[in-house]
Amino acid sequence: MSAVTDTGQAAAPGGTGARRTAGGGVSPGWSVFHPRNMSPALRVWLAVLLAGLLVGLGAWVYQLTQGLAVTNMRNSMMWGLYITLFMYFVGLSAGGLIVASGGRLFGAVRYKPIVRLAVLEATVAVMLAALLLLPDIGRPDRVWHLFRYPHLTSPLIWDIAIVTVYFLISVTYVWLYTRADLARAGSRLAFGTGTSAADLARDERLKTALAWIGLPAAILLHSITAWIFGLQIARGFWYSAVMAPLFISSALVSGMGLMILLALVLRRGGRLSFGNDLVSSMGSLLGVFIAVEGFLVFSEMLTAAYPGAGFEAEPVERLLTGPYAGFFWFEVVAGLAVPLVLLAVRRLRMDMRWVAIAAVLAVVGIFVHRLNIVLNGLSYATVSYPPGVSIGTAQPAGETSFALSLFYYPSVIEWLVVLGLLSLGALVFTAAALYLPLREGGPGAAPGPALQADPGGAAME
Amino acid sequence: MADKVSPIEALPPASREYGEIDRTSKKPRWAMVVDQERCIGCWSCCVICKSENDVPLGMWWNRIDTVGEALDTPYSEDGELRMHWLPLACQHCENPACTKVCPVSATYPREDGAVMQDPERCIGCRYCMVACPYGVRVFNWGTPERPTDFDTGMVEPRPVGTMEKCSFCVHRLADGQVPSCIWSCPAQARIFGDLNDPESAVSRLIRERAGYQLLEERGTDPHVFYLPPRRKRGLWT
Repeated sequence: MSAVTDTGQAAAPGGTGARRTAGGGVSPGWSVFHPRNMSPALRVWLAVLLAGLLVGLGAWVYQLTQGLAVTNMRNSMMWGLYITLFMYFVGLSAGGLIVASGGRLFGAVRYKPIVRLAVLEATVAVMLAALLLLPDIGRPDRVWHLFRYPHLTSPLIWDIAIVTVYFLISVTYVWLYTRADLARAGSRLAFGTGTSAADLARDERLKTALAWIGLPAAILLHSITAWIFGLQIARGFWYSAVMAPLFISSALVSGMGLMILLALVLRRGGRLSFGNDLVSSMGSLLGVFIAVEGFLVFSEMLTAAYPGAGFEAEPVERLLTGPYAGFFWFEVVAGLAVPLVLLAVRRLRMDMRWVAIAAVLAVVGIFVHRLNIVLNGLSYATVSYPPGVSIGTAQPAGETSFALSLFYYPSVIEWLVVLGLLSLGALVFTAAALYLPLREGGPGAAPGPALQADPGGAAME
Repeated sequence: MADKVSPIEALPPASREYGEIDRTSKKPRWAMVVDQERCIGCWSCCVICKSENDVPLGMWWNRIDTVGEALDTPYSEDGELRMHWLPLACQHCENPACTKVCPVSATYPREDGAVMQDPERCIGCRYCMVACPYGVRVFNWGTPERPTDFDTGMVEPRPVGTMEKCSFCVHRLADGQVPSCIWSCPAQARIFGDLNDPESAVSRLIRERAGYQLLEERGTDPHVFYLPPRRKRGLWT
């Protein structure tokens, strides 16, 4: 069982400040991380995640020693899975601040039971997005150059700034929404704050203030991430004013889809409680987002394709009929059309299984959409005369070192590094979901650390 | 670089035929003219570039694209076969897309028009490569491999994980020498000089021969100009 013990200890740093109390025993909150207090399924889940994290770390170390040559990226396809997932995770974080801030500013109180989940999802997703940049750059040892020599006209610098701000806002949100319950449970994470009426009133004022910052920050985050791509005149497929609105809608689709799934999982695990009507209502919102997404994709394609030729129309033609066309049609059918129908039909929207299927399709569909943006934007030489761009690594004798286009698929190392990062994200999320009180408070709500009070806790051993 | 001896030093300095380097010019704006009528697609400039700049295996700072569909193959126009090449290296744009997006200013335009790349500053994000409309930047994906066990050329080798590209041979310009691709061209298809001097060879050629810039419509305003072939060259002429 030593592995399981390791799991318990490794999961603890997901929060901060794991300490023994003065009495010598582990403080009540942290006991949720003791393997004895976990259901067998949870233990297996954490062990799998830890194994995934270790494998991913190993793959990254290997990549560090060999350089990016162990990926399948080359000069003719210079960005790949890492950047795709970077923008995907930026998008997944959307649900969070938009539900939390938007809900607060526009009075959508019905989303209250999932607000804490939303901000936690945002925190973990944006953290993963930032971490995904590390394996992508050729010299992670020079990452400090970004802060020492920032070049302010670079959209990448804007993005690093907004990702940092967004992460800080999300963490503050998580803390602000959970700190009163943490304080009631005597957790150190409350940092000594109290639970008097004045304290709670101050919380409400701070939440509203934060909402005013959070909503514009969320909009900016997705827009700036879009501008990394959309401002590049070299890439006809990207150079479009619709990129920022499109990124906001894709972010809302994937963020809302993931939130539905996480909410359903956590409800089953007893960490949240809400009625099915809330899921249906999230489902109809998701349906609206999908419709907007489909409209923007169509509008962009039509605008680019209509002239019939040129550096904007050619990529569209390749997208519809080229080697990656399957991805595009998957996006249209499985990512947009099917979930839209599932969510538009009232009878299906009332059935949690169908909502869950629609959410899975939306989450996967947006990933494929992001993949299409990167692959189709980059995989063709911009000056299309042979022999094309030099590949960038020494080729065996007799083989050309040039390519007009490369059919890119991620290498095993790329998949393993990504596996490691996804495991890390899932570990942090699981640990936080176990420790933090995710139920929106109000009198009588069980504070999170007292897991024993939960139905899920009762089910454990 | 003083301790290195270039084999190129043994050759005669740049002559008027290749253009000119006026070291006394206060504000030069260097430009290159590539005459597509004269280019015979022999790749000499690409090979000398490799040795001058110690470019690793699998990478080229300079390449010869064939106009048309297939390498070194004629294309058909007005029922006749034509054959032309497009020598392609960094275009040293006046308004470079790459320098704007570099998050750490590792690539930057010099006052004399050359676009520089600092391998010590570069973090290897490859954003410049994404932004470049010409596909002329190359990245050190792994540890650079070379056919020799020693470094060649007159510039420092670049480390793994960083970007590199044509530098207009600025190390030679400082000595009053034209870039190596210029003097090595057996067809004298390349001419180098100062765009700010209206009487320089490059200025005159661009004027008289209707020199054009590649992908002019993207607004990058390259300092490399191409002279279109006046006479379409068929296989029999």
